[in-house]
Amino acid sequence: MSSLEQQDLYAALLHEMKNHLVLMSITLDRVPHTDDHDHDEPLDEARLLCQRTSERLMQALFIYKNEQGGTPLNAVDAYSTEDFIQEMAVQARSLRSQLRVETDMAEDVPAIWFFDRNMLEMALINALHNSIGYARERIRIAARMDDGMLCIAIVDDSDGYPPHILQSVEDDTPLTSNGTGLGLRFSSLIAKSHINKGRKGFLRLRNEGGAVFEICVP
Amino acid sequence: MIFSDYKTKKALVVDDYPSMRSAFKMALASFGMTKVDLAATSSEAVIRVKSGNYDVIISDYNLGDGRDGQQLLEEMRHKNLIGLETAFLMVTAESIYERVVAAAELAPDDYLIKPFNGEILRTRLDAILLKKEAFRKVYRSFAHEDLESALAGCDDIMNTCPKYVVDALRFKGEVLVAMGDFEGAEVLYKEVIALRAVPWSRLGLAKALHLQRKDELAENLLTDIVEQSPELVAGYDLLADVQLTQNKTKEAQSTLHRGVAVSAKSPRRQRKLGEVAYQNSDLKNAEAAFKSAIDKGRNSIFLAANDFANLARVHIEQNNTQAASEVILGNRKLLQESSEGRLIAAVMLGQVAARSGQGEDAMNYMREAIKAKAQGGHADPLLALDMVDGCLKSGLESEANELLAEVARNAHDSVSLLEKAKSIYQAAGKEAAAAQIMQQATEQVAQLAKEGVLLMQRGDLQGGVQKMLLAAREAPRNPRVLMNTVWAVLRVLEQGEDHGQLLSQAKRLLDDAAWLAPEHPRLAGLQTSLRHIEVQVSAKRMASFFNFS
Repeated sequence: MSSLEQQDLYAALLHEMKNHLVLMSITLDRVPHTDDHDHDEPLDEARLLCQRTSERLMQALFIYKNEQGGTPLNAVDAYSTEDFIQEMAVQARSLRSQLRVETDMAEDVPAIWFFDRNMLEMALINALHNSIGYARERIRIAARMDDGMLCIAIVDDSDGYPPHILQSVEDDTPLTSNGTGLGLRFSSLIAKSHINKGRKGFLRLRNEGGAVFEICVP
Repeated sequence: MIFSDYKTKKALVVDDYPSMRSAFKMALASFGMTKVDLAATSSEAVIRVKSGNYDVIISDYNLGDGRDGQQLLEEMRHKNLIGLETAFLMVTAESIYERVVAAAELAPDDYLIKPFNGEILRTRLDAILLKKEAFRKVYRSFAHEDLESALAGCDDIMNTCPKYVVDALRFKGEVLVAMGDFEGAEVLYKEVIALRAVPWSRLGLAKALHLQRKDELAENLLTDIVEQSPELVAGYDLLADVQLTQNKTKEAQSTLHRGVAVSAKSPRRQRKLGEVAYQNSDLKNAEAAFKSAIDKGRNSIFLAANDFANLARVHIEQNNTQAASEVILGNRKLLQESSEGRLIAAVMLGQVAARSGQGEDAMNYMREAIKAKAQGGHADPLLALDMVDGCLKSGLESEANELLAEVARNAHDSVSLLEKAKSIYQAAGKEAAAAQIMQQATEQVAQLAKEGVLLMQRGDLQGGVQKMLLAAREAPRNPRVLMNTVWAVLRVLEQGEDHGQLLSQAKRLLDDAAWLAPEHPRLAGLQTSLRHIEVQVSAKRMASFFNFS
């Protein structure tokens, strides 16, 4: 088999796996919460796992494509910032019902901003999944303006990021030995693909009463 | 914000996976949307849409039967099967999402990336349906060609709903173009670009420039657009148009070639590439492109009888009469369905017979062609010249001359067509006859048009219009003559006299012009003026009606 055929095979395989995962995710959505902890918790975990697995496949593919030669974002357009924050909250709530999910929009955030919503959302969901795993009881999704950029943060009340992860993002060398590096690298790539009038977006992490994952787009 | 009225809405789900279809159905039911139909293929979807009004269409991008969701959307919009009020949600995999977006000539209302959950499906539908509600009045005005109201509606949304500002600007740009206000559109797109240079705003600006015949500016901009966003296929199409307007046919061919390399799916792009290659006498590439146009066009509304004529003509010029007759005979059933198709089949088979030395067959085919044309089969100028050629070769000389006169009358301003006609007669050793026919035919139309303009300039509007109407009757297939005539009629009607008959004549002429040259920059402006006058005339009639009663 030539390497091209092999790539096609892998792509087809990924495609099919993703389709199955979509189905599994939708099937799990049909199981209602019962407010019984023993029922709801494993259900939420299964949903989360299902989504994380498919997102990993997708991230790997995205990074691979990026290495093959850039990722121009064709779908940058105007989106309602309010709708976007609310949609992120819906994502968070659908993943783990026990957590309190709050949203927070600074007053100076404009009604619309230009970004590739679907890609940005994927980058943020990645952080959301992380926070859902570590948060004690609440997650906050916050939007604010900083130096003319729209910054969207996922903030949790966990113990925060370990120093080596903070360092790796600062150095732009997210680690790859375990799962976390892939997601951070993916998020950073998406942020950086947002370019406007010579300015590039970026990802930054910090600890501030918990872990703060923030993407800023010009 | 949450949209609450799902019970009354009707949805169609298009997906080739049965399990995905039922998953969608269940997800929709979970928030109260129970009127849901399912389709497995795009042709099934088209049948469904023809018989039912859907508020929401959710379609996967990959549809299995060689078609995709984008083609489905474009086909349904072109055939007016769905209007702007119908929400169209495209579902794609991440791996192809950016490419799918760039290839979209007509944007769906939103994209949903797999995998997604039911909650996200709902928030997306909430947002789309609320937006549709906000724009409902604007869409209705636009559909009823009340462009002024549509324009005012866009301004209203801009002033009252900050989150729809850009959507309103985008739609306003389309309304301005439809009205023929290309300068207004230029200003608007520059305004959007100042906010952010999103690809659609740059394309919009390029189109507004092109329509104002500022083609050099448009070309520079488009060259940059396709460099910055090489996957944006609409950029190549527009760039090729701009180059063709400037007679840069070689450049246009290579531009279209690049467009086809990015996305080979569109039969219209392939056809255009074939036409330009043919114009450049590049028969090899013309053949390939026309073949693709037919391949990609099968099972879609974009396949035209003329595609077979194009390919057969190339084969004939390659001296491959065998292949030419195969193109026609292999698609005979399809061609028999329309008078245009019957005309094309007869002309091409006649050409083949004439070139194979079967004079009697050729004559019979050409007689058949003349009959099909008389029955309403439309012959574009190239096909008409093929007919001329076939008639000459099979001894139907007076028929050939008659056709030549018709072509010449309609193409009195096209050097390349007249040259081509001349060379056909040259090959038959009858150039003198041709020169006389052509001179007579073109002179008459040109003379009428000239006199008309002159009279108009002298202030004799009525006299001028009469001349122009005669010119339009002589050259009913010349969009320029038709539009000049409409312009003259509008000047008369502006004087305020009630000329009901003149108005309906102008409408008919303009409809013909729109059919012949749908992209012509003067068209939209004339249509807008005509609508204005129509409103004035009917208001006046109304007023006089009330005065009498």
